[in-house]
Amino acid sequence: MKKILCVPFDPVHDVGIKLIKNSLAERGHCTELLPPDLSMEEIVKKAAATQYDYILVSRTLGYGVAELLARFNDLLDAAGVRESTKVVLGGKPITPELAAELGFDKGFGEHSSIDEVIAYIEDRPLNGTADNHKRTKPDIASHYFYSFRHKRIGELLDTIAEKTLHWAEGKSSSGIERCKIQEELSAVSDPSQKKRLTDRYNSLCDPVIADANSKKIFPKGVRYITDDEMENVRLLIREKQPLRQQNIRHHSRQPLIFKFLGSGCPTMDIVHAKICERYGVNGFLIVNPSWEARYEGLLHGLLTHENDGTITSEENIRLMRDCLNPSTLLTVRAHRGLNTPEMIYLAAKAGADMTKINLVYGSLGAGTDPERLTVDGLYAMKIAAEHNMAFDIPGNDELSGVPAAKSLAGLLINVMLGKKLGAKAILKPLFCYGPDIVLHGQMKQNFVDYNAAKIRALRSIVDAPIWPGEPIAFMTQTEERVQSANATSYHAALAASTGVDAITIASTDEAFSRGPITIASRIDSIRAVTDAFRFMGDASFQPTAAADNFTDDFVRKIQSALETVAAYANLPEAINAGALGSKEDGAYPGKFGKGTVRNSEQQIPNHK
Amino acid sequence: MSALNKVIDAVDVETYLMCSDAHQGHSLALQLGKEMNLGDVDIMFEEFDGYGVRVRLRKYIHRPAQKYHWLESDPQ
Repeated sequence: MKKILCVPFDPVHDVGIKLIKNSLAERGHCTELLPPDLSMEEIVKKAAATQYDYILVSRTLGYGVAELLARFNDLLDAAGVRESTKVVLGGKPITPELAAELGFDKGFGEHSSIDEVIAYIEDRPLNGTADNHKRTKPDIASHYFYSFRHKRIGELLDTIAEKTLHWAEGKSSSGIERCKIQEELSAVSDPSQKKRLTDRYNSLCDPVIADANSKKIFPKGVRYITDDEMENVRLLIREKQPLRQQNIRHHSRQPLIFKFLGSGCPTMDIVHAKICERYGVNGFLIVNPSWEARYEGLLHGLLTHENDGTITSEENIRLMRDCLNPSTLLTVRAHRGLNTPEMIYLAAKAGADMTKINLVYGSLGAGTDPERLTVDGLYAMKIAAEHNMAFDIPGNDELSGVPAAKSLAGLLINVMLGKKLGAKAILKPLFCYGPDIVLHGQMKQNFVDYNAAKIRALRSIVDAPIWPGEPIAFMTQTEERVQSANATSYHAALAASTGVDAITIASTDEAFSRGPITIASRIDSIRAVTDAFRFMGDASFQPTAAADNFTDDFVRKIQSALETVAAYANLPEAINAGALGSKEDGAYPGKFGKGTVRNSEQQIPNHK
Repeated sequence: MSALNKVIDAVDVETYLMCSDAHQGHSLALQLGKEMNLGDVDIMFEEFDGYGVRVRLRKYIHRPAQKYHWLESDPQ
């Protein structure tokens, strides 16, 4: 037990010293708190009258305060107090260096915890290191049953899914064939068999990919990560540890926080990710280069890329997975291109936790032929189910101008298809200020009602996880840093208020399109969301009556869109006909991979 | 040890420049980058309000896939 004198050397800011005094008393120390209005001489007299082990002084800084504190120390010295008593300085602007400079034995500042002060007084190591912040990996989809609460919508989705699955039976593509080759390659060890399979794989790739994999002639800006770079990044991860691990979520019912990674370089991504982990980010989505979706075949190897998007080779995904905290979730997007099944297979093999598939958006907003993406996507859902990977469904077709109700109808079709194939889907409605909203004024009054209504509508239809994206506040953020952080934090608070499972947040330079995202800008938005979550706690937004009308309208329009889709022979036919987004809306069925779907008995042509 | 070598990705400079119009503000912002020995900078944000311009400048020190000096061990 220590004898401690607590001195609020500041007439106003004495909350911290009171908290410390109470904590020390709870641990059995003998503490005494002086009133805040004593003169310096009175304090010294009191300190000299009893033999204390520690004198804790709290003070904010201001003009002349440093000199005042130095004089206080001199007086304690002169009274002989310092021969047996350690004097400690604490306060928001105090640093250990400043405290030492002013002659104190120790200093605690803004980032110090009460535990640190107690550990110092008790002369023991601090228990609150990174080890004490071990996190468990969350499973977003585990507690949902995917039951449809809206009977008619459930029936329509069932019809659409059955028709589409029936249509896809016996169909294949070079994307599916490459995925099967990858599965075979994992199972064989004989070099001649491996070569035969690799040659076959390359014959199913576009020349630019085949040349890169076989002749090491890479697309512009792509190169191997060197051994030195690899060694240095692994060393950095080993040597550096997060200091005072933070949580963004004020309580566990608030949504998990995800961020994009896609600088082009896995090494840069890893360093950003490690820093974000320290600030409490729960997971990351790897964003690949847009060209990766357009070519037949994937690049292999540890590769870096000097332009937007990190190459999602198996090796790159594995490196990133290995460097992240085991509790951090990792998602690989595969939703929109010609390599969907293979990418999901390799992502699962490399240890990714989740993936991303959306047959509708991938066809309407991302340029892939609806028939090809449907055939590939269904196969990909089976792979996801096999590897127990949930897949999220981004509703980004809204950004092309597709009305939200049609976009939500598309998400629900994916949920039903996933359910029938044994895969767990995560709904990803946008929290955005999209073109249709700008045009028709649904957010003229506020940004709360329409976004909240999307969540309410989906909840009234199906029991499935919801993860607004992507990122939240899309098209509300500007290049101005504070505005961007605010927009993100308000939308995050709204998301928390609606009880969703996760959100993806932008950085404050997200709207700046002329260069890569920086780590400082990532921290900006994380801090803003952390404060917003703290501010909200268990409280929630109260949408206006307009949200009820929007909700009813969404459900009605979703049903109407699904009635239209159900009238077509299959999903691709409905997408091509504009049932889930028309040319007038700004959505055009994609052309990449058009004409490449074959019946299984037909030979898949080589791409060379 | 060079501090710039330790910059993970970019240096941002935020300030307010007194100027007569948006055009002058823009020129001054670019000039500021040069005067601070940052060379050519990107202007991320600029807003002239009648008195001056609030600006955010950015200079990338390490771009993705380049050699990262901060990843190398410090010379002893």
